[in-house]
Amino acid sequence: MKHKPKLGQIRAMETENWNECIERVGKSQDKAAFRSLFTHFSPYLKAFLIKSGGVTPENAEELVQETMIKVWRKATSYSASQASASTWIYTIARNTRIDWLRKQNRQNPDLLNAEDLYDDRENPTPLSSLSQIRTKKLISEQLSELPLEQAEVLRLMYFQGQSGQQVADALALPLGTVKSRIRLAMNKMKLALAPMGDLGALGGGV
Amino acid sequence: MINRHPETDLLVEYVSGSLSSAPCIAVTTHLQYCTQCSDSVESLGEIGGELLTTAEAVPVSDELFDRIIEDLDSPVDQNLAKEPSRQSSNPISTQLPEFVQRLLPEGDLDWRSLFPSLKVAPISVGEDKYELALHRIDAGGKAPEHDHLGREITVVLTGSFSDEDGVYQPGDFLVRQPGDTHRPFAARNQECICLSVLEAPIKLTGIKRILNPFLSFTPS
Repeated sequence: MKHKPKLGQIRAMETENWNECIERVGKSQDKAAFRSLFTHFSPYLKAFLIKSGGVTPENAEELVQETMIKVWRKATSYSASQASASTWIYTIARNTRIDWLRKQNRQNPDLLNAEDLYDDRENPTPLSSLSQIRTKKLISEQLSELPLEQAEVLRLMYFQGQSGQQVADALALPLGTVKSRIRLAMNKMKLALAPMGDLGALGGGV
Repeated sequence: MINRHPETDLLVEYVSGSLSSAPCIAVTTHLQYCTQCSDSVESLGEIGGELLTTAEAVPVSDELFDRIIEDLDSPVDQNLAKEPSRQSSNPISTQLPEFVQRLLPEGDLDWRSLFPSLKVAPISVGEDKYELALHRIDAGGKAPEHDHLGREITVVLTGSFSDEDGVYQPGDFLVRQPGDTHRPFAARNQECICLSVLEAPIKLTGIKRILNPFLSFTPS
């Protein structure tokens, strides 16, 4: 009973297009390609950043600006074989948000920034672009088919940068329920996750 | 072989950016050893990209693009230009993953003896909720039995250690909750170095008093 059988395919084609734009920016500082990226992604980036705790609409645009500047400057190191455009830009926006929030909390931002914490250079097994597109297709379709309650938990975590505990508090649910929704979502999406967490010690719902 | 991995929800927290610095570093360290979890993190990143571009867009102001172009022509600010962090000359560091080496202070690590066979060296990462440290157990060394007043994450870097629950090899990612008691000891033939993330002072159950030897400060 699927009503969007081609969603994945459409997304895969779009993906290739945006991947190419970043590569053009990286190779030849192509401002037209950069403008396309900006036009497409910055309203999404604003929507993403505005949801972060403590970010006002004005801050959100500053953070969009910061993110897009990093997109420009880091584009030379972008490779479509390692990440799709949206994933790569998502990661940059996430790091920008982390650094900004740490600055707000007066944590020492000089010591290490988000890029250091995540070891950006780490990417041991580049995906072939075929499997890349397959992954993309599966993920977009599967996300759209998740039960609402599972999708909601993921959205809160990704969009608002909330921990499982914060999501549990926000939805007035036990932490174990949030954890099991995450796990169910991942199982449904058949993501290649490690077979077992550490001792199941965090699995409060079991 | 790696048998202990971060739980799924911890990986989601990692990718979505809600972990503070020290636990984030612990997960990144595990990923240096574990291709399986690296693959998971990659897939979880794809979810982030997908959620980003399927959300309801919020229009940006007209002049934002021009402001960005203006900025592109200005000189690169120091933060972006700076070389990623520090490089330790400490002899111990050559045995550690490059990612961990880059976290170490220049010069000597500040090793403190907790017990005859157990040393700790704190690593400053500028956060006050958790402390990051290296732990080093001599070959055949034993730590006293202790439980945990806060969450403790341990990632084995070199060598191996055991406790009542099993044997842990490089890359293994262990989470101890408050109330868990264990008595770790290193393998007989090799010292064991671990990266640890500690939330609160640890209580030594055998001695029946609270020490905080595993921490160099008390988190607020």
